[in-house]
Amino acid sequence: MNPSLYRKLPLILAALIALGLPLVVTSATYLHILILLFLYAYLTTSWNLVGGFAGVLPLGHATFVGIGAYTSTILSLQYGISPWIGMLVGAVLSSIVGVIIGLPTFKMRGAYFALATIAFAEGIRVMFENIDYLGPFQINGPRGLQIPPLKTGLAHFMFADKEPYYYIILAMLAGVLALTWVISRSKLGYYLVAGGEEPEAAQSLGVNVARAKLMAMAMSSFLTAFAGTFWAQFTLYIHPKSVMSLDISFEIAFIALIGGRGSIAGPVLGAMLLRPVSDFSRIYFGSTLPGLHLIIFGVVLILVMLFQPRGLQEPLTRAYRRVMNGRFGGKEAAA
Amino acid sequence: MLFILEDTINGILMGSIYGLAALGLTLIFGVLKVINFAHGSLLMVGMYVAYWAVILTGMHPYLVLVIVVPIMFVFGYLLQDILIKPIFKAEKDVREPITVIIVTTGVWYILDNLSLLVFGPQYRNIQGNPLQGKMLEFGDMMISVPKLWGFCAAIITAALVYLFLQKTRMGRAVRATSLDREAASLQGINQYKIYNVTFGIGTAVAGVAGTALVPFFNIFPSVGVLFDIKCFIIVVLGGLGSIGGALLGGMIVGVIESVGPQFMTATWTEAIVYGLFLVFLFLKPSGLFGVKYDW
Repeated sequence: MNPSLYRKLPLILAALIALGLPLVVTSATYLHILILLFLYAYLTTSWNLVGGFAGVLPLGHATFVGIGAYTSTILSLQYGISPWIGMLVGAVLSSIVGVIIGLPTFKMRGAYFALATIAFAEGIRVMFENIDYLGPFQINGPRGLQIPPLKTGLAHFMFADKEPYYYIILAMLAGVLALTWVISRSKLGYYLVAGGEEPEAAQSLGVNVARAKLMAMAMSSFLTAFAGTFWAQFTLYIHPKSVMSLDISFEIAFIALIGGRGSIAGPVLGAMLLRPVSDFSRIYFGSTLPGLHLIIFGVVLILVMLFQPRGLQEPLTRAYRRVMNGRFGGKEAAA
Repeated sequence: MLFILEDTINGILMGSIYGLAALGLTLIFGVLKVINFAHGSLLMVGMYVAYWAVILTGMHPYLVLVIVVPIMFVFGYLLQDILIKPIFKAEKDVREPITVIIVTTGVWYILDNLSLLVFGPQYRNIQGNPLQGKMLEFGDMMISVPKLWGFCAAIITAALVYLFLQKTRMGRAVRATSLDREAASLQGINQYKIYNVTFGIGTAVAGVAGTALVPFFNIFPSVGVLFDIKCFIIVVLGGLGSIGGALLGGMIVGVIESVGPQFMTATWTEAIVYGLFLVFLFLKPSGLFGVKYDW
């Protein structure tokens, strides 16, 4: 088999499977689970631009989800602007906030950076929970905002069925993966990796590490806000606990770390492994064994950190290469 | 004016218990250079141990310390020895191993949810314990008795930890390791044993804080989360690794939380604490008493 083909083969297969899945999966519950899976894969891939390539550990990305969700929802509720436009506005806002957070925090080292991002995210959440009006915008404090399902259709980003949401989030995921692939092969990508691993050495070679990190943060917060708008339009109800909570930030980081941060396949792999665990344990053991999925998360996280600190994508990729090189063909590993 | 004084005093008392909770965290950070994200969960475990000790033996809520402290020490010692040490060994040359932070986050999730599985989500408190709801009255002022006990426990524990670090041979080894782990190893100090002991002491201190909370605080599986982020804030305010700083930082947070509601909605005080924390991170990351190192 020609070597470039076996690298593309799993991608093509995965794309075909992803596109065709709604034809097989007709149950609304399973489709919902798949949508959440892709949503988290998307969120984690966006996070990965900062948390993976730049080698820092941001634990406050829920803020950007919240900014995206609130911006598009406020604009559509109060001014009748289509959520698609609100999505872009939210992303720009979120990107500005991301840079504002990044400017002082990127100077900090490991743990301090993680704590500062938590403090920012929690501070903003507490603020949203305590005020009903942010300037002229009504945000209703802890009660949040409800989107009345009046007009459905693509222009209103609102659908009666789950399939359109599925394809939208799939397209978003494909887009962000392609973007990550481009960035990882661009100058910026190399700057980020260099700055993350050896900041002094990179700087001495003339790499502006701080600027590269800020660029990554701006892009990451921009992309993360898209997911916020998607979440708002999908659930039609947002409140600070649902779109800004620390749990979201931590789950994103968990998925990235278990899948393998700093790689392109890692976040998708992590979401494929963890999301079903979380959803199915909630469905089957939610009443008898509450919190089981979080115990599993914790155990898997510790095991991965102990034995595969670079995440699960690495051994799987290696295994896949070995199988393909040995021409055992037909047996495809995870994409 | 009087109620502000009353709130200030109660804030200092509650704050000293926060400081006590943060003491273990600051100790572990000072030596291992690792932020222990599972610290709130260790506090939660301490609270459950104290709770069951009181329920099963019927002893005074502070007498159970003789049970809580050894159990928590062994628990922390083993946790470090089994889970965290291997990672330290793998990342020997990393000054600030971020992987360890991640592992402690895993420990946090496991402990919180295990206790949810085992003990259920209900809030527990010890009915009819000798400290419950007791108040001292000074004229018109009311001072909470269990918090006063907690204050004393905090001061005594801090003094004991300080004496241990300054006066004993093991304490000196701990300080040496915290200053320079390679140099300490060259002097024949087994750094991994020091880490185990430090983690054990930090966990035992969290157990003391848990015991101090049990007479007046509800116990439930996610109670640690209430203290987790608060403890991070306190240790940064006081200076990571500083014992006195942890107590003072705790009192500052306690006073903000108890006096603040006189002037604003109670939930806003939380935002103020986060703001103060960020200001400190930007302007003086070494905190009030922290030594200026490169961390």
